[in-house]
Amino acid sequence: MSVAIVKYNAGNIRSVVNALHRLGVEPVLTDDASVLRNADKILFPGQGEASSAMAYLREHRLDEVIKGLTQPVLGICIGQQLLCRHSEEGDTGCLGIFDVDVYRFHPTRHEDKVPAMGWQEVRPTEASLALSNEDGASREDDLNRQACASGNKSLFRGNVLNAEGGCQADYFYFVHSYYVPLCKWTIAEADYILPYSAVLHKDNFWSTQFHPEKSGKAGEQLLKNFLAL
Amino acid sequence: MIEIIPAIDLIDGKCVRLTKGDYNSKKVYNDDPVAQAKEFERQGFRRLHVVDLDGAKSKHIVNDAVLRKITDATGLKVDFGGGIKTDEDIRKAFAAGASMVTIGSIAVTHPELFIEWLNRYGTDRLILGADVRNGKVSINGWKEDSSEELLPFLRKYVEAGVKNVLCTDISKDGTLQGPAIELYKQIMEEYPHLNLIASGGVSSNEDLSGLEKDGIPSAIVGKAWYEGRISAEKCRDLMGFKANRGLAKRIIPCLDVKNGETVKGTNFVNLRSAGDPVELGKLYSDSGADELVFLDITASFEGRKTFTDMVERVAREINIPFTVGGGINELSDVKRLLDAGADKVSVNSAAIRRPELINEIAGEYGSQVCVCAIDARNDADGWHCYVKGGRERVELGLFDWAREAADRGAGEILFTSMDHDGVKNGFANEALARLAEEVPIPIIASGGAGKKEHFRDAFVKGKADAALAASVFHFGEIKIPELKEYLCNEGINVRI
Repeated sequence: MSVAIVKYNAGNIRSVVNALHRLGVEPVLTDDASVLRNADKILFPGQGEASSAMAYLREHRLDEVIKGLTQPVLGICIGQQLLCRHSEEGDTGCLGIFDVDVYRFHPTRHEDKVPAMGWQEVRPTEASLALSNEDGASREDDLNRQACASGNKSLFRGNVLNAEGGCQADYFYFVHSYYVPLCKWTIAEADYILPYSAVLHKDNFWSTQFHPEKSGKAGEQLLKNFLAL
Repeated sequence: MIEIIPAIDLIDGKCVRLTKGDYNSKKVYNDDPVAQAKEFERQGFRRLHVVDLDGAKSKHIVNDAVLRKITDATGLKVDFGGGIKTDEDIRKAFAAGASMVTIGSIAVTHPELFIEWLNRYGTDRLILGADVRNGKVSINGWKEDSSEELLPFLRKYVEAGVKNVLCTDISKDGTLQGPAIELYKQIMEEYPHLNLIASGGVSSNEDLSGLEKDGIPSAIVGKAWYEGRISAEKCRDLMGFKANRGLAKRIIPCLDVKNGETVKGTNFVNLRSAGDPVELGKLYSDSGADELVFLDITASFEGRKTFTDMVERVAREINIPFTVGGGINELSDVKRLLDAGADKVSVNSAAIRRPELINEIAGEYGSQVCVCAIDARNDADGWHCYVKGGRERVELGLFDWAREAADRGAGEILFTSMDHDGVKNGFANEALARLAEEVPIPIIASGGAGKKEHFRDAFVKGKADAALAASVFHFGEIKIPELKEYLCNEGINVRI
């Protein structure tokens, strides 16, 4: 299996490379259109600032390449935000895979600090749970059916996503000042100041606001699941 | 808990509000109902009430294309009403993505047809719209009053299986004079299991709190939202959103590294060796540490190279975030360590000497990579900062410096109380709480951990976002899984 990581001017890509190495995968870090188009899986990770990242992608014509990809693509953190329509960060037009706009967190209380940094639970969206929650089945059943209902196959297989809260669920590591609101493509959400999108999915595009590569065993499982899609 | 459902009323494809149902009182609030729906979704609402006022007037569905656009663009669960008179209208509404339809007039004029729909589409997909004026059910866009009394009218349909009732008090609607709370209480007393949706008159956060307190399951907000009288935060609060939950409190083992070996000082002297930092870090990560801190206490150039190599190994082998510090004096040090794979760097004495360093790091790499470490002691004249591993006092107050560091772009404060460090008698909770109060960035508590209760106190009394410790972990006095279990049982949000 060939795994390509989109090479652009975002930081912290090395940690994704390291995480893939730990899973026994040797990724190619590339901005070459044909290498990207021919890879089995694409990762679009990074930390950075939206307008300079988009400027770089456009300059290298990677915007059109990414939009045209048909294999599974996983956006991570700024990668997720760049897959959206527009970002408040630098008033930036983004790739528009997900037709939703990215906003900056505005703290409503002193305890709410920006950037939001740390571990959080995520939970499958209520709408997708409701779709499959007809007869009071166990939570794991719910989650499996939720995954099916959202056409999500197995991105969360083996992960414990908690709809109620409590310390037993999987936590993921987030570092961000901007967020993707709840939207049609939200398949898991997290809470910080307001409920927002933790994971998005549409067609062959998946994305996480959190960093699976820094999220311990839970993140490792999710990456493994993505590679198995 | 109450479900708050924002409303979009449509005339000519625009988002409007009427007063008491009078079409002449029309006020346009948004030309773009799709943008409005997206805004509601962004604010954390899950549902949307769409009323086709053109439809209500024309007695057939009119704005189904707008409905389609809203359900295509959002994940909101939409109930749709206004002008639904025929089976074809219902099918059009469902085809346009409505989750539920609200049916009013037909239930009054053609009860047998309503029951037929109830059976055909299911009780979860139908909302009985009961619009009331002077105790009588009103029909046809509120232009006519029927002879039906509300409660007997409801009884008939509840017995037939209706679960959702949207009750609008027309005399209140759009008046911002408060909802018809007595009417709703009366209905709930009669039918405690009904999903009653209160509509009309909500004018303030207090009105919503009142409905919630009286056990009304759902409420529509219209004009009050558009007029800015209701806060999104209050709505989320009443809907059961727990903003408090948010981020887990973090447990951070700290590893002091000298010449590739971990060491830990007690009150910054008497170093004791505790093994290979990467192995130890991995052990902590596997046992549930949320982050790691590696501090380079080597002074020499060769030692720095060894430390950078170690950072690369940590980045390769460990799958949680880690911070590195010690000897970071300029931006090139930061670059070297971040390139080696560190997630964050911590600056201490160098930032006190040259505070611009914080601006430079935050400007180049973002606030999230910049941890400002502060060693301080509560001297006779108050909390003061110390540099050079705690050997030299500087004339700089702890709280002043922490605020300044935050202003300059630091992402976190790592505060070590030298008075508490190594004493194992608890963290400096008073100073921590004051930092949490005065500084707008996360605070990591350090110095004083001796038993599990100390961590709880640092989070509860000290309001710290994270707690860092070394020797209690290194020498196995506290095991992280047990600590996490304890904190969870104490009601603290921790990751297990």
